Amino acid sequence: MEPPPPASVEVAHSWDRPLVVVPLFALVALVGGLFESFTLSANLLVLAVGGAFMWLGLTGRAGRRPAPRRLDPGAVWWLLPVLALSVLELATFLRQSFEDYPTLSLIADPFLEGYLARSAAFFAWLAGFWVLVRR
Amino acid sequence: MIRFVVIGLFLLAGLAFLLVAWLSRRENSSIPTLGDISGFVMGYQVGRVPVGRVAVLGFWWWAGWHFFAR
Repeated sequence: MEPPPPASVEVAHSWDRPLVVVPLFALVALVGGLFESFTLSANLLVLAVGGAFMWLGLTGRAGRRPAPRRLDPGAVWWLLPVLALSVLELATFLRQSFEDYPTLSLIADPFLEGYLARSAAFFAWLAGFWVLVRR
Repeated sequence: MIRFVVIGLFLLAGLAFLLVAWLSRRENSSIPTLGDISGFVMGYQVGRVPVGRVAVLGFWWWAGWHFFAR
């Protein structure tokens, strides 16, 4: 078996081009938009796609961009939105009064009910996964 | 009423996220991009176990499942 490439190495595959990846993700997103939450189809698709991305990300077969060895002190600015979102999500979840204190996913649910919005969000999730896999 | 306050706070946090992302992309910014932060966190290992990589990819997988399948 061919060993996976070492970390922090860009690996160019013939299929690793926007011309290939974008239509593929669009197709998966258009299918994903068809499936409502709490259905077996939705669960299977997310599990299959996520499993494939996890495998690619952990083996490094999609290539990786060099990661910084240390971060600039300005990185602490990221704590502001991340902590704000985390505290809000945790506080609303612990309240367990979802009508008055909706969590982020409950706020997003009405928007994700429409096919186009759901497909677009699914595409964004796939694109984000792809970016992370190659980091 | 409180519902709209909560939604407004989520919106504010989202805007703060976008603002920091925009600031990080300016030329000579001292704020690393989200991609650099992700790469740094994903590089964390305990022994040979890529804990940071598993955590970040696992979080993104869970987020997709939570919003699209749960």
